Amino acid sequence: MKKKTTTAVLFVLPFILFFMMFWLIPFVYGIVMSVSKYSLVKGNQGFVGLENYIKVLFSSSMYNKSFWLGMKNTVIFVILTTPFLVLGSLALALLLDRLPDRVKGIFRTIYFASYAVSVTAVAAVFVWLMKGNGGYLNNLMLNLGIIDKAVPWMEQQPFVWVSLTVATIWWTIGYNMMLFVNALNEIDTQLYEASAIDGANFWTQLKYIIFPGIKNVFWFVLMTTIIASFNVYGQTRLMTQGGPGETTKPMIMMITSTIMDRNDLGVGSAMTILMGIVIVLCSVGQYYLTKEKEELR
Amino acid sequence: MRTKQVSKIFLIIIACIVAYIFLLPLMFMVFTSFKGIAESVTSTTLLPKNWTMENYRELFMNTSTSPVMRWLANTAVVTCAGTALRIVTSVLAAYALARLPVPGKRFILVALIWAMAIPEIVTFFPLFYIFKQVGGLNTFWPLILPSGSGVMCIYLIYNFLLAFPKELEEAGFVEGANVFQVLWHIVVPSVKPVIVTQAFITFLGLYNSYLWPSLVISRNENRTITLGIAALVLGENYTNPGLMMASTVVSVLPVMLIFMFANKYIVRGFTQSGIK
Repeated sequence: MKKKTTTAVLFVLPFILFFMMFWLIPFVYGIVMSVSKYSLVKGNQGFVGLENYIKVLFSSSMYNKSFWLGMKNTVIFVILTTPFLVLGSLALALLLDRLPDRVKGIFRTIYFASYAVSVTAVAAVFVWLMKGNGGYLNNLMLNLGIIDKAVPWMEQQPFVWVSLTVATIWWTIGYNMMLFVNALNEIDTQLYEASAIDGANFWTQLKYIIFPGIKNVFWFVLMTTIIASFNVYGQTRLMTQGGPGETTKPMIMMITSTIMDRNDLGVGSAMTILMGIVIVLCSVGQYYLTKEKEELR
Repeated sequence: MRTKQVSKIFLIIIACIVAYIFLLPLMFMVFTSFKGIAESVTSTTLLPKNWTMENYRELFMNTSTSPVMRWLANTAVVTCAGTALRIVTSVLAAYALARLPVPGKRFILVALIWAMAIPEIVTFFPLFYIFKQVGGLNTFWPLILPSGSGVMCIYLIYNFLLAFPKELEEAGFVEGANVFQVLWHIVVPSVKPVIVTQAFITFLGLYNSYLWPSLVISRNENRTITLGIAALVLGENYTNPGLMMASTVVSVLPVMLIFMFANKYIVRGFTQSGIK
């Protein structure tokens, strides 16, 4: 018995060490930094209590301004992308579900393939697709006579939001679709046949068979999409650099510039912790949302 | 029956249109990489009128701005080492948690779940500062070592093992095999589907990750391919779309090949994650 415990400890030890070094210690360290005056260059300059948090949330400092602007931009991004990423991916999954088995796999792979590329590639491609001057989309539309002046897709609002949203949808919708495809596979096909005999149309089936069957996955996808969109960074960094003005500078970009450019690790950590709290609340919300529904049933 | 046939054809037509939209950016990327600069900035067709290899030649020749082969080599080291590290630590820990009397097991399992809920951005900057203090910036260590803490991976293997009968392993012990033999000959083959899937997902994640590498790597020759292309995208002087797309093709090609090859395993991963 004692030998078994030794083996057990030896087996979990590598993971525990890595977990402590690269997750737990940084996590605790981040909390410590958020209540200290901390800079990248000078290191720790003493405990300041909740001063950093007050600076970020309430005072009229530049940090306060960038935090709320970052929050606003992030929320705009979440609101713009989430409906398409959730309902759009459900529509794609329903389309796949109705295709003949022979071609299902091919289309599934095509719709999912874009998820395999990096955000860098997404940005590179979409910048040159959408660029106001010399971009392919404008060239094409000018040539076809749909527009007579180049649209500033990458240069002016609200067009820049459209470009970012389109690029993000193209990149990540396949992931959600795969989750829905799996959920739909679990629905008993006899239910469809029986309801079709009873004369149920697609919308009745959607309401009474499909949605109840995939309800939990639906909430899961909704919440993970909100969280993923909340973590937006790469697209904005690489496609717009936060511009025009600071209109597409999301939370994470505000944090990186606070820490890397303004050299304030303390305030930056406080912002990170606040953002982390919002995201954890989303996860907790999803947990209760799915749990409660299950009990009601 | 006829209307059913017609609606099937209608659905396939819709599926094809959607597929075209999905493939358009990828086709644009590939075809533009074969266009000369004069053509690519004014082009209104997807296919090049004059096919040229000029962009690829320039990309591979200009090793000071774009050391592509170096970036690919760096990426190979980082992704393979990181994936191997994660799989080894995860299999060992998951097996111990599922089958052996680990002290504080409940505590570890709860910690895993919390760690999964907390976004990784929370640990990025403190970790960056730690690596800065120990002189780890611009090395491969910060890109590889954090993979050793594969919380999600452990959790999935652990769950798989819990649902898997342990009679076979017990028989192995009765036959006089030691724990490593049982692990290698019985446990690993039985959790193979999860391991393969997780390996591919980890690999893709490491290959494509951008934010964390952009914090810890700033020297051009130490970049991964994803980071290198990002530097090109951000570079002021990089105004030739053909050249840009050529470099993007080079960065996407390896991962697309692996994706096509591993598609079945990745799809399977979605069933394993057990989201109901």
